[in-house]
Amino acid sequence: MNKKLGVYICHCGGNISDYVDVEKVRQSVEKEEGVFLAKTTMFACGDSNQKEMVEDIKSNHLDGVVVASCSPKLHLLTFRAVTERGDLNKYNYVHANIREQASWAHSDDKAGATEKAIHIVKAAIAKVRYAESLVPIKISSIKSVAIIGGGVAGMKAAIELSDLGCQVYLIEREYFVGGRVSQWDTLFTTNETGKELVTRLYNDLAKRKNITVYTGTEVISNSGSIGDFKLKVKITPRYIKEKCNQGELQNAIDACPVEVPDDFNFNITSRKAIYHNFPGEYPQSPVIDTKNCTRCGACEKICENVDFSQKEEIKEINAGSVLMATGFDPYTPADGEFGYNLYNNVVTLPQLKRMIDLSDNTLKFKGREIKNIVYIYCVGSRQVEGENKYCSRYCCTSAIHVAITAKKKFRDIYNFHFNRGIRTYGKQEVLYDESSKMGDIYLQSYEDDPPVVTSQNGKTIVKINDILTGKKELEVEADLIVLVTGMVPRKDNSVGSLFKLPKGRDKFFNEIHMKLRPVETVIDGITISGACQGPKNIMETVNSALSAAAKSYSYVSKGVLELEPIIARIDKSLCTWCNACSKACPFDAVKMEEDKTKAYAVINNSVCKGCGMCLPVCPTDAINLIAYSNSEIESMIDALA
Amino acid sequence: MQEQIKEASYDVLVIGGGIAGGEAALNLANNGFKVLIIEKDLSIGGKMILLSKVFPTLDCSACITTPKVSEISRQPGITIFTGSEVKKIIKKTENSFEAEVLKNPRYVIVEECTACQLCEQACPVVVKDEYQFNLVGRKAAFIPFTIASPKVAAIDIGNCILCGACEKACPPKCIDFTQEKEEYTIKIKSVIIATGFKLFDPLMIPRYGFGLFKNIITSMQMERQLAPTRPFNTILRPGDGKVPCKVAYVLCTGSRDATIGNPVCSQICCMYSIKQAQLLMGALPMADVTIYYLNIRSFGKGFEEFYEQAKGMGVNFIKGKIGRISEKENGNLILRYEDINENKVKETEHDIVVLSVGVIANRDAATLFPDEQLKLDAFNFINQTDPLASPARTSIEGVFVAGTASGPMDIPDSILSAGSASAEAMSYLIQNK
Repeated sequence: MNKKLGVYICHCGGNISDYVDVEKVRQSVEKEEGVFLAKTTMFACGDSNQKEMVEDIKSNHLDGVVVASCSPKLHLLTFRAVTERGDLNKYNYVHANIREQASWAHSDDKAGATEKAIHIVKAAIAKVRYAESLVPIKISSIKSVAIIGGGVAGMKAAIELSDLGCQVYLIEREYFVGGRVSQWDTLFTTNETGKELVTRLYNDLAKRKNITVYTGTEVISNSGSIGDFKLKVKITPRYIKEKCNQGELQNAIDACPVEVPDDFNFNITSRKAIYHNFPGEYPQSPVIDTKNCTRCGACEKICENVDFSQKEEIKEINAGSVLMATGFDPYTPADGEFGYNLYNNVVTLPQLKRMIDLSDNTLKFKGREIKNIVYIYCVGSRQVEGENKYCSRYCCTSAIHVAITAKKKFRDIYNFHFNRGIRTYGKQEVLYDESSKMGDIYLQSYEDDPPVVTSQNGKTIVKINDILTGKKELEVEADLIVLVTGMVPRKDNSVGSLFKLPKGRDKFFNEIHMKLRPVETVIDGITISGACQGPKNIMETVNSALSAAAKSYSYVSKGVLELEPIIARIDKSLCTWCNACSKACPFDAVKMEEDKTKAYAVINNSVCKGCGMCLPVCPTDAINLIAYSNSEIESMIDALA
Repeated sequence: MQEQIKEASYDVLVIGGGIAGGEAALNLANNGFKVLIIEKDLSIGGKMILLSKVFPTLDCSACITTPKVSEISRQPGITIFTGSEVKKIIKKTENSFEAEVLKNPRYVIVEECTACQLCEQACPVVVKDEYQFNLVGRKAAFIPFTIASPKVAAIDIGNCILCGACEKACPPKCIDFTQEKEEYTIKIKSVIIATGFKLFDPLMIPRYGFGLFKNIITSMQMERQLAPTRPFNTILRPGDGKVPCKVAYVLCTGSRDATIGNPVCSQICCMYSIKQAQLLMGALPMADVTIYYLNIRSFGKGFEEFYEQAKGMGVNFIKGKIGRISEKENGNLILRYEDINENKVKETEHDIVVLSVGVIANRDAATLFPDEQLKLDAFNFINQTDPLASPARTSIEGVFVAGTASGPMDIPDSILSAGSASAEAMSYLIQNK
């Protein structure tokens, strides 16, 4: 039992001391059994106090340390490191939270907050008496990273990790890499097209020997964890031989009798069952979509490169870290939402982008020439009724960019922007300026008074109570209505569920800390990048991809990883394998093993997070959580009473 | 006297020790690269360390910055020069540079100072405290601020009267007026520019009356009044020390305004004003807070919800640009504006006005490379030559940009941009080994 304890009570500027009498707390605990020194400090986490603590621990040979400050989520690791620098095993440190739990929670009752803080600190002192020195769990880590998603984020991360000397597996569910960016034409700021950008990245990627690209490939299971993820992937064949004559293939495509809506063009055009996305796509080979193929054999007869004998393949990939770059889906408007699927001239912004790209001299939709375009903003974002409360960030800039592009490319285009406050943040403002100067009309309404789309005598009318002109009711006859749709999380989240990645309120993957750890997740070894974490434009996506690559690299670069030793431990002699612990575990860390005498539970040390969910469900009390033993918890309860 | 020129070599020179520079340096050092941070100020931590709480999580800024700053200063692969400037950087070979660095004297022996503050008490000179944005005074012998790193005294020699009182008061005798400027020639392989931004100076908009009317403050001054290490322990208006009860925020002060030469949006002011408004509702429960805006740009993760939360708490949002501010005899201010919603020109009285000042380019880095051309963009930020595929790249090979040196951004975006710059620098260093 530890007998020489150091206790530090933090003011946290005024965050704590405005409501908690910090000096009174100090006096109340300094006489507690084993307390050798008790001090108050303005900022316990400040550099100067950290130095003082190190000195105190060393010179007084303290064997236990308590800091009463903020939430352990913020500073547990900080003070463990301080303890370690004082030559004391860091698990002899216990954190007491008197900010979130006392001062902030009871800012209306200073005496009560102080009283509660005293109890919280006493409980921490009770716990630290039982604290034991622990050694982190060491595991080895393979120097390879699996990247899921071959869009711009995934490709950029792959190039970076390859530069840093990692083996990279780039896994793309579609048959072509490039993701959403390959669907866009000219891009804002550079006027490079999405295809050109993708081409540039793919050429860079293809030069590298340590990157393996899998297309048409899905992750179907994972049985590993940080240091050694064991992924099983299913590779669907293209049914086209690797080296083939492009000319003959075009004839085969022409011969195919099947016509289906083309996803790549957001269904505004159709394609065959054997198809290309666009000329020069990557990899440069068409694919047969077996879901729609009728096996009529027409293509096979014309082209010897078609090969229906190719088989689905299951492959295992081992990686030290997994980098998620699964992107987003554009929001699909509900039937009738601003006339969508109700009137025949209502499209989404991605569809308009494709239309502009595919049209040459005049902008036509369903045979009619388009002149008046009405853009309705915030469709699927900032919803008053619906679930998507968030702003999708990219759409204002994107819509304005598209409107300018249309105006420059085609004659007599008139753009009307029905918005809810334009959000061209940062330097994107210049685009808003440019569009206003080009004569685009901006009309604005509040969220509770959206524009209304009606149809009269074959004409589509959009009405708005425009707040920029004193709430006058204005209307525009639209040739084309464009719903400026936001970003939503991928509909198919199976790969996220596979890794048990937590999602935020907005249903995008959640980071550990928005400011300090924006690409890390609570699942050790898995990083997130790009729009799967939240809406982003291309530059922001690439910044986050490179950050995530650097973080994933740090998991695998040294070959060895240290993990937290505070995990569950099973007493085999007491375990009767009832399966209750395995069912309770949210991380799949409990597995059954058997020997000659019986079946029993085993904890996977690199997966267990020490959450303690398994403890109360065990009928034979066979599970113990290291650093949270019964004696520790009971002594804390006594101190709190 | 002949100044001694010292030599040293590092893998990467990071210019600026704010949150972006610090994050980039940590990433590099954690992967085994040797980094030198040159910080002009007396402490690292940049602007973030001086903030109150940060949106939209309302984390206490000091509480999340100090551990980062402490980690940076402890990391053995990172050397930090505070109070120092890079004079120039010359490209020596295809992949090496030489930087001239000037380390200004602090007149305090850093290793021996215990931050006891006795010199501060002894010093008879009082000047405006720039770390509290001139709300209060400080001494000429002073510790920059409570959570400064290093937390060591400095002598402000420009204002010091050389009375010697601090020298006599200092217990470890660490005040040393004989210190001189030191020059270093530093060999480096790569540079990360993380020189941050400057705040717009509202004196440039005379019709707002900043500097003339005492109860108009900048958002950074309000930020300090709300911080845990705040000067007054409550919110006071500077004119007469009264606790305000009708607060106005003027958004887009110095942003989206071609008349003062800054047509772009500063990206952070809407959100920090909404945050301050929420904190004010807590600090002054009886106060009315009104935000005058053009468009609210709450575009980041959780931002829109944060804006909705402020509306729910009772913050008033009025769409309209402020035309003019005038002062009444009692120090209150009359705001004249076009209320877009009601399509009327109106006047409203407030007892304190906060100007939400924008982000302006810091041009310090522009002249660092006499032989190369470090390109700037139309707004004088560092030009990103490949913004979509390699956002950290600049017009000079081997020189990268992190954080707000390339344009306005908030803290999460600065951290991501720093991650991106350090990743690019790492692959550059490995490729050019």
